[in-house]
Amino acid sequence: MITLSSYLMISLALFLSGLVVMIARKNIIAILLGIELILNSAALNFAAYTRFVNQNIEGHIVSLFIIVIAAAEAAVGLGIVIRFFQMRESIHIDDAAQLQS
Amino acid sequence: MFDNILFLLSASLTVVGAFSVVLTKNLMHSCVYLLAALFGMAGLYATLGADFLAATQLVVYVGGVVILMLFAVMLTGGDQDKENKFGITKVPAMGNTKTFIAGGISALVIALVILRLVANIAKQNPQGDLPNYMSTVVEIGTKLVTDHVLAFEISSVLLLGALVGAAVIARPARGDDQ
Repeated sequence: MITLSSYLMISLALFLSGLVVMIARKNIIAILLGIELILNSAALNFAAYTRFVNQNIEGHIVSLFIIVIAAAEAAVGLGIVIRFFQMRESIHIDDAAQLQS
Repeated sequence: MFDNILFLLSASLTVVGAFSVVLTKNLMHSCVYLLAALFGMAGLYATLGADFLAATQLVVYVGGVVILMLFAVMLTGGDQDKENKFGITKVPAMGNTKTFIAGGISALVIALVILRLVANIAKQNPQGDLPNYMSTVVEIGTKLVTDHVLAFEISSVLLLGALVGAAVIARPARGDDQ
């Protein structure tokens, strides 16, 4: 039987994976992967509540805006990563400890 | 019946993909597992009756973001030096046992808090008679240009700003000493 709770459990699994990736990895691109997982779990929650609780379409629109923001964030984040790699020859997060080179 | 099979397939693809992103030691493999997880998310949207969201998920994430990530991995690949400028050994880029223990403990705490919240929702089980699947595209389009037109326009400005910003940041500065 598929209920709201099953979708919430999948969303919880995605969120926890993203959290562990963000904490345990020291590579900037891997941390961006974790952020994508967490944003996806939030969007899944909105769509699940739309189906099972109030049946209006507003949740889908919020999920759509989450996807848009995630795409913008990925573009800017990867631009920063590539520029950082050109400057420091490294994408280790501990090397990003200075505001000015 | 078909719904249940689709749900089980998509859910297992999503969860296994997400856990593989955590567990694998190779960044390229990690990106490919993320692609599997996002593909499963599109299937989950389809079981929720969100057809437009499923299509958007496939186009934007599977076609765009993951490819961008793979390009970034390939552009920044290569050996990382093992010591920082103070001569101290760095934590390996994909984490070691210590960082995974830290991540696991924080995930455990967060999981307990969220499960405590979800337990109440599961007890109430708010599920009336579910509506039939129908296309949501017309309704989403109407709402986007009537009720949510301000957010729609702001997100277009945000996308333009992100595009210009990414181009400006990634380009090498002109006055640099090569």
